[in-house]
Amino acid sequence: MKGLMTVGAAVGAIGLLLLVGMIFDIVPSNTVRLVEGYMPMQMLFELACFVAGFTGLSYTLNAMGKGIPRFVQGVAFWAFILLYLKFRVYPPIPFSVRAMYGTVSLVAVFMWMSANEEDWKKFKQPIMNVLDAQSGRTRLLRTAYLILLPILIGGFSYNAMKPKSEEPIELRTVHPAPPASTKVHGKTYVLQTSQNPYRVNPEGKYDQEYSNKLIVEQSMGRLMAPNANPWDDKNQGYLKYVREGGEIFFQNCHFCHGDNLNGRGLHAFAFNPIPANFTDPGTIAQLQETFIFWRVSKGGIGLPNEGFPWASVMPPWEQHLTVDEIWKVILFEYWHTGYYPRTWD
Amino acid sequence: MGPVTRKKVFSIMALCAMISLLLLPIIVSIPSPAIGADAPAADAAKKDEAKVEKGRDVYYKTEGIVVGAPAPKTTDGPKDYPRYNFESRVLLWFANQQHLYYGSFVLAVPIFCMIIEFMGVVTKDKALAKKYDQLAYDFIKISLTAYSLTAILGGILIFTFLTLYPAFFGYLSSIFRPVMHIYALMFVAESGTLYIYYYGWDKMKEGFLKWIHLSMSVILNIIGTLLMFLANSWIGFMMSPAGVDEQGRFLGNIWHVIHTALWNPLNVHRILGNMAFGGGVVAAYAAYRFLASKTDEDRAHYDWMGYIAMALGVAFLIPLPFAGYWLMREVYAYRQQMGITLMGGLLAWLFIIQATMIGILFLSTNYYLWQAMGRMRGAEKYQRYIKYLVFILCCGYLVFITPHTMVMTPAELKAMGGQQHPVLGNYGVMSAKNGGINVIITTTVLSFVWYMRGNKVSTLSWAKFGNIFMGVFFFFAYVNIIWLAIYGYYIPANVRVGLSVPQVATTLSCLFFMFALNSVMMKGAKQMGPIEWGKISVRSQYALIMLATAFTWMMGLMGYIRSSVRLFWHVNEIMRDNSPWAYTHTVGFAANMISFNVLFFWVSILFVFWLGSLAAKKVPVSATATAPGGAPQPAGSH
Repeated sequence: MKGLMTVGAAVGAIGLLLLVGMIFDIVPSNTVRLVEGYMPMQMLFELACFVAGFTGLSYTLNAMGKGIPRFVQGVAFWAFILLYLKFRVYPPIPFSVRAMYGTVSLVAVFMWMSANEEDWKKFKQPIMNVLDAQSGRTRLLRTAYLILLPILIGGFSYNAMKPKSEEPIELRTVHPAPPASTKVHGKTYVLQTSQNPYRVNPEGKYDQEYSNKLIVEQSMGRLMAPNANPWDDKNQGYLKYVREGGEIFFQNCHFCHGDNLNGRGLHAFAFNPIPANFTDPGTIAQLQETFIFWRVSKGGIGLPNEGFPWASVMPPWEQHLTVDEIWKVILFEYWHTGYYPRTWD
Repeated sequence: MGPVTRKKVFSIMALCAMISLLLLPIIVSIPSPAIGADAPAADAAKKDEAKVEKGRDVYYKTEGIVVGAPAPKTTDGPKDYPRYNFESRVLLWFANQQHLYYGSFVLAVPIFCMIIEFMGVVTKDKALAKKYDQLAYDFIKISLTAYSLTAILGGILIFTFLTLYPAFFGYLSSIFRPVMHIYALMFVAESGTLYIYYYGWDKMKEGFLKWIHLSMSVILNIIGTLLMFLANSWIGFMMSPAGVDEQGRFLGNIWHVIHTALWNPLNVHRILGNMAFGGGVVAAYAAYRFLASKTDEDRAHYDWMGYIAMALGVAFLIPLPFAGYWLMREVYAYRQQMGITLMGGLLAWLFIIQATMIGILFLSTNYYLWQAMGRMRGAEKYQRYIKYLVFILCCGYLVFITPHTMVMTPAELKAMGGQQHPVLGNYGVMSAKNGGINVIITTTVLSFVWYMRGNKVSTLSWAKFGNIFMGVFFFFAYVNIIWLAIYGYYIPANVRVGLSVPQVATTLSCLFFMFALNSVMMKGAKQMGPIEWGKISVRSQYALIMLATAFTWMMGLMGYIRSSVRLFWHVNEIMRDNSPWAYTHTVGFAANMISFNVLFFWVSILFVFWLGSLAAKKVPVSATATAPGGAPQPAGSH
């Protein structure tokens, strides 16, 4: 047990040192890389390692007779979470999300510290000492708090009320609700029931299961399924349509959406926000093909009111492409990213 | 005939009267030629086939004979939207919400009474049985006062509809005419049954009569539940109409109108929601009384009452997210744009608030249980591990509340390099959220298990093996839930939706198997000390109040979301809302309005509690329950 705790303490100490380095910009945030595809779990795993490390540290310090007071433990852990989110995770997390996480972790610290009566008493003790002010040090602290707290709150209020020149926060709806139907090139498509006419099996029938087997495999390196190369001229049917969709994509879309479909094309960074990243599981993977059909056809200008502030410069592609070309390019996007369009059966 | 036999005869007659009341609306609802589908169709066919106009059901796609008028095309004016110098929608919102709060409470409390009365009947310990019986009686007494208020608020709601939205209400009542009449009759049946149940309490205290009394509570709850189902059919119709053609003309099949796409999921969700809400309100009442208590006896009684109410509420809270998930799945299947409006579009931020509230409910529950361990000797061995439960809970919570669309300034958006954050963006989709909520619920189950064995040590020969088995079971439950959440990113969306089934199954397996195994292991276990009812921290009582407030707030929020998703329709895609208020409120306004409704409800229910306490029978319990036998132990746990 002691050995395990010592290892834990070492992990905790190294982690803390790295974090301090990141805070003071001595060590870049990506020294320990967040690995693409594993980032969300990596973050939780790192936090779990820190918790284990802190347990080890606490155990070791207690064994040495230098235990950290409960109050300091609570405050320090909360500060650690805030600093971790601010300096470790990259790209930077927007303030609104950090505020949410910070609040939750504050509640967590409170729950931890007050889970039983003994701990709660220990946690409260320094606060009560300052309020009671029985010694010179606590009297001094109480006076300091009395002066500093109003100044601090005043400062926050001033900062909040001060006119700012930065652009205001946007509560943007990235995927606004589509209409029930859309009219493209004179034909009405019901979004709930329409299907991609090119997602077909060798018999020419709509078959998503068939096409699912032929898409790029989702893995660290995106791999084509065996004998499913759309650029092989021998392949007909679905794969041929994917190839045609790919040609249309590279002639029209990749300048913005990028050759890897990750929203980082040649022109991407001229826009804010940058174009949609189709490789993100929160975009086309969440949507029916007909939703994409509607968005591509109508473009940024066709966004409904709830899409305010309509931060999209995508052209209404119905003015440049035929209906068939739009369906084929959608087919290609799903094939390339390895995602399956959403269905309800 | 002796007095006992006479009592029995009268009791059976009362029970029969209740069953008749229950059957009355069903008899009335047998289709008459005036409203039925077949009879007019047959007559019309004989007389003049050319006059028969047929329409196609917008949902069932079946053909039917048109028997109703089309949905009115309203215009903004005093004819269709008469008004005061105030937003009519807000007035209706207020009336509706208050009616729903009270309605939920009076439907939930009799179910509690039934459960608690049953526990009292089957408990062998006579002192405890009496306590359960008294508790059930206290509950129904509170419910009785609230029942009158529910009826008054229902009246206010109907008048608000009639005076402010006459065209819409006229249309709705023309479609639901027979249902509304049955509803009214059911209400009569509910009232009659409730009064017989309440006033017969003392007369049917023991033996066979008690069983008759208990049967009455079953009938009372069947009526109450049917009543709610009927009311749900109206909102189900407004969201996902069926039984009418594209113009909104009724096609004669009343079952189609009732049984819409969302009716069943709404029914299940509302039953569970009502129960959790009712538990929360009673727990808050007990907490308030605990905090105001002057004696140890009172504190012990209200501590126990709070625990029972919380346990019942949480028992229904645990399956609630799954029912909600089913409802949302059906919403998506019904209309993609409705689902996206809810969870990815206009109302997505309200869903984040909802997730936050759900998290608060579970955090409060766990916190209460940890605090409750403080009143048991021997629970210290678990308390040192609570910090790890806090960590697991909060990780699940953070994932669960991470928004898909983050609020940020354009500068932050640019720094992030795209709309989705590469690390946190993945938490914003359903697969991760399913994992998050299942982790939270499994941890709550674990807290319950710890609480149940807090002051006990199993004396079984295989106790060590049992403990290891339980530990391993929980460990693999977590692994399975998290693994499925990750795996969900690599499979089609329709298959991913199905992954929720094994995740839920894992969580429920923990709930049922671990509770069962724990109960077996703790049977005849060595007690480390009594449960010292009343000796619990005041923080625990604030946690109960928090739990109830969060329930109330969340109910208001979800009602608003469900209603707002129709956007500018009174009846989705059938009858358009042409009033000046056919727009969606801002998140801030909605939050303020919900808060006002919550505040009003709590102030008014305090009044109800006060009324209930005027004639309260005080039956205190001893502060330190002696174990085993005489202790006021909640069934199934202690």
